Amino acid sequence: MTAAPVDRRPRRTLRQKLGTGARLVAALVLAGGVYTAFAPSSHAEDTKQLSVAAQKGQQLYNTSCISCHGKNAEGVQDRGPSLVGVGSAAVEFQVTTGRMPMSRQEAQASRKTPHFDDTQAKQLGAYIESLGGGPQIPDGDLRKGDVAAGGELYRVNCSSCHGFSAGGGALSSGKYAPSLHPSTDRQIYAAMLTGPQNMPVFGDNELTPQEKMDIISYVQNMKSDQSPGGWDIGAIGPTTEGLAIFLIGITALLFATLWIAGKS
Amino acid sequence: MKRPKFDPKQAPGAVADWADQRLAGASPLRKLFNKVFPDHWSFMLGEIALYSFIILLLTGTFLAFFFTPSSAEVVYHGSYVPLRGISMSQAYASALNISFDVRGGLVLRQIHHWSALLFMAAIVVHMLRIFFTGAFRRPREMNWMVGFLLFWLGFLEGFAGYSLPDDALSGTGLRIADAIMLSIPVIGTWVSFAIFGGEFPGGDRIFSLLYIGHVFLIPGIILGLIALHLALLVKQKHTQWPGPGRTEHNVVGHRMFPGFAAKGGGFFMIVFGVLALFGGLIQINPIWLFGPYKAAVVSSASQPDWYVMFLDGSTRLMPPWEIRIHLFNHGYTVPPIFWPTVVLPGVLVTLGLLYPFLEQRFMRDRAHHNLLQRPRDVPTRTGLGAMAVTFFVVLTLSGGNDVIADKFDISLNAMTWAGRIGLLVLPPLAYYLAYRIALGLQQHDREVLAHGVETGIIKRLPNGAFVEVHQPLAAPDEHGHTELPYRGWVVPKKMNRIGAIGPAIKGFFVPVEQPEEPREVEAEEQREEITSGRR
Amino acid sequence: MSETETDRDAPEFDPDDPKLTRFDLVREGARRDGVEIVHYQPRFTRPGSKEEKRVVRFVALCFAIVGLAALAFIVAYVAWPWHYKPGSNLNKFYTPVLGLTLGLALLFIGIAIITWAKKLLPEEVSVERRHDGASPDVERKLTAATAMSMVDELGIQRRPLLKGAVALGLAPVGVAAIMPLGGLIKDHKSDLLTTAWKKGVRLMHDDGTLVRPEDVSAGGQITVFPAIRDGNTNKYADSPTLLIHLRDSDAKRALSNALPINKGAQWNNYLAYSKICTHAGCPASLYEQQTNRLLCPCHQSQFDITNNARPIFGPATRRLPQLPITVDSDGYFVATSDYKVPIGPGFWERP
Repeated sequence: MTAAPVDRRPRRTLRQKLGTGARLVAALVLAGGVYTAFAPSSHAEDTKQLSVAAQKGQQLYNTSCISCHGKNAEGVQDRGPSLVGVGSAAVEFQVTTGRMPMSRQEAQASRKTPHFDDTQAKQLGAYIESLGGGPQIPDGDLRKGDVAAGGELYRVNCSSCHGFSAGGGALSSGKYAPSLHPSTDRQIYAAMLTGPQNMPVFGDNELTPQEKMDIISYVQNMKSDQSPGGWDIGAIGPTTEGLAIFLIGITALLFATLWIAGKS
Repeated sequence: MKRPKFDPKQAPGAVADWADQRLAGASPLRKLFNKVFPDHWSFMLGEIALYSFIILLLTGTFLAFFFTPSSAEVVYHGSYVPLRGISMSQAYASALNISFDVRGGLVLRQIHHWSALLFMAAIVVHMLRIFFTGAFRRPREMNWMVGFLLFWLGFLEGFAGYSLPDDALSGTGLRIADAIMLSIPVIGTWVSFAIFGGEFPGGDRIFSLLYIGHVFLIPGIILGLIALHLALLVKQKHTQWPGPGRTEHNVVGHRMFPGFAAKGGGFFMIVFGVLALFGGLIQINPIWLFGPYKAAVVSSASQPDWYVMFLDGSTRLMPPWEIRIHLFNHGYTVPPIFWPTVVLPGVLVTLGLLYPFLEQRFMRDRAHHNLLQRPRDVPTRTGLGAMAVTFFVVLTLSGGNDVIADKFDISLNAMTWAGRIGLLVLPPLAYYLAYRIALGLQQHDREVLAHGVETGIIKRLPNGAFVEVHQPLAAPDEHGHTELPYRGWVVPKKMNRIGAIGPAIKGFFVPVEQPEEPREVEAEEQREEITSGRR
Repeated sequence: MSETETDRDAPEFDPDDPKLTRFDLVREGARRDGVEIVHYQPRFTRPGSKEEKRVVRFVALCFAIVGLAALAFIVAYVAWPWHYKPGSNLNKFYTPVLGLTLGLALLFIGIAIITWAKKLLPEEVSVERRHDGASPDVERKLTAATAMSMVDELGIQRRPLLKGAVALGLAPVGVAAIMPLGGLIKDHKSDLLTTAWKKGVRLMHDDGTLVRPEDVSAGGQITVFPAIRDGNTNKYADSPTLLIHLRDSDAKRALSNALPINKGAQWNNYLAYSKICTHAGCPASLYEQQTNRLLCPCHQSQFDITNNARPIFGPATRRLPQLPITVDSDGYFVATSDYKVPIGPGFWERP
């Protein structure tokens, strides 16, 4: 791709400045501990509904999370980190993918059947959000992106760990980048925004919300796109292809030789 | 002479007459018809490689109609939506066009790639058969060397083909190839700059070289060597297993036409059919997912095709040992990648090419051999072969150790260490096990020849001991001995193999008619006659 | 080669003798070719038996399947919708249908032919004599004499002047023949020592926009390119760089660990390392933000980001070179020099 560098006034600058300003304002507002009308599902009766959600979230928190993350999500030494400021995005990611609540300490939490449903996850998120703010997943359609642009971004930023076909891959010493095949739009968005575990953070300056949606569009499009060349044998490249030629090809042809040269 | 009326029935004869008047081909042609080939399943493995190669030529020619080996930048506007508007090299764009905008292009591309994998797999399996049965011994050392070179040429040809589409995997592979070239002491940078025409990736030069190499030079050499391989086979005649009537001085089997040729032609169709099924039903090398090559792009689980994977594995297992030399106030480097990717293949090629001569030297066997040996009869060779196979398999698995680590939840670092230790420990272990198993099998054969087949009948002796009754395989001679000499061929080990129990009913759904008894016996007698006559 | 031998043994053979069957002629031909047909028998003792008919029917059925499958292939090739359409649709079955029909057609040709050969052709055992070993002694002597005589005729032994002249004259021709390959040779080794980075070159994203500190969140990383024309293309395949924003504690550790060569390369909590692995040149870009390790997916070398990107596992022997960066007056990241050491895989002359 040929792209000349853009000097002086890059087209990003304005957007970035606005973005930074908005974040600054948001941070100040939240730091003051005042819960304002930025939360998900804003309606006329915002404050009341949200606090209801947060209250429900607090109940769930106190039954299922408090033992590791402590009272008021302040964290417990050697058991669980503080959740103040992680934001609803992180909570939603961890809870809807079943990674939290964790049954035991492991090198890396892996995807399980979620313990809570989506509404409960949102309630938990609202509660954690109310404690210290943090990143949130925007509402609405997250696939309003450009597939081709998303592909470029995916290959530069994501494929190194998750693989060209989003099947995941190994990291050092037993850690791994999970497959994106079971991931929902909101989970992918939240993962980019919050950088769970060893995943690097892709904040809104690294990948703008639009770019994140491009990537989501690419990934979901790839997943829903039936492979045109037949069975994709995992689409993990030459490893399974080599296995297939021996296990199926050579085996079948060996049987053929046995038949051809066998007694008639 | 009066011009005869055209009679279609006479036409073949007339053509034959016309040709023989000019070529005097009657007797060489008949000699070809009458050439005898032995029949055994293990003799057909090389055919798989030959047929895959023919299919490679056919499908490759088709692909060449549409492929453009150029690094010129274009913007893609083809059918594949997720890449539209992306700039890429013309090579990659044309590979995408073959996949999406040429009718039937994808199936032929996939058949081509599967054929390449099968070609190499069949070469390896065929080579193992030759090795373990001693078919490379005098007078066939030359043909072993030709075949061995064919493996390495196939290796190069495959790598060039893998690199041509200029997708992100190709580019990553080429970049590693560049690192390998750079690692050669003294001349490394010169080699790399000559191949790439500058610092990697260098532009069009590499595509010109890869393309002419992949479609002309290497296949040309392969074709020439295959011709030589077959010519030597015809001249030296096929080896055969020992057995009734088979000696070092004859070939027992079918005449080439029609039986043997029909089986060969049929097998070609089966190989082609299997590859067509593969090409249509199993996706291979989905370049559209990989995207165009960019120096900053990579994917987890970046692997070469299976026959290159052992070098990738050796590179992964290599400890970080770099040699620094200081000469005349300048430091020189021998990078660690030099050993597993330049030295190791060099050693493997040399050892492989010279193996027949090494074996002759160490086993002190310089005789002419046309009869094959069963692996169990030469435990040392079998052990060495098992060792080599284990070495290769450990390296190949290590070439995919990240995929194994990911899919089976094993630590990647543990996989690397397992590979390092395995590479040192497992081959000698494989040698020992293969050696002992070969000896054990041989011993069992000897025992059956000496004492007969186990009947499953337990007899109690007067002293109370239980013994199993053995059925001797031969009638007692004048001294009452029933021992048969060891001939290195299959020994019957079960009673129904020597006719004590009738064969099971043949046929899957309906019993197959048994041939009439008297004829069967007659045939058996006739066969016995040959046997005794030839011995 | 055996014909003289066999002819001597054989009595006069008249191929037109009406008493001879065709098979007698076949047997005699084979005999002359050194082949003895020792066992030859039709597959079916009673012609037209039930089993023969069954085999014939099977072969015929195979060919019928071949015809149908081939026809299906042709029809599918022409009529099946085949253009790429995203999602799950009939078009996605174009390739599988072609493969299936073609494969079945070819497979059944094979099965038919082999069944024919196995079940319908007569049973046969033939024995061919081998004529192994060297040529007869006389032949060898005659050939050797002929070859030696060639040398004599040329008289190269007797004419030492010619010997020398030929050697001196042809040796350069041999070298001259490979000289055109010299066109491939290129000496730009200094290229390997430098990249597109130099003092004052700004960092840019893949899309060409410039990079500011706030573009990378703590615990995040991005791939950056030199902000020059074509800086993000393969023309500068040696320049892709990973810009990493460390968390406070990690950044402090990185700073205190910095080797003399990397002093001053770090800007606040930001550091930039070459993305090109020092082992084989793959992009080492699997960044683990908790362990601060960087993994290369090709051969699994692992680098410790907080300690000068030192290799801590795998085959890599050298640190990833660090790009010295700072932020200019406009607030953009800028390199303060090229890498201090050559990037990428090692080579012989690497200083």
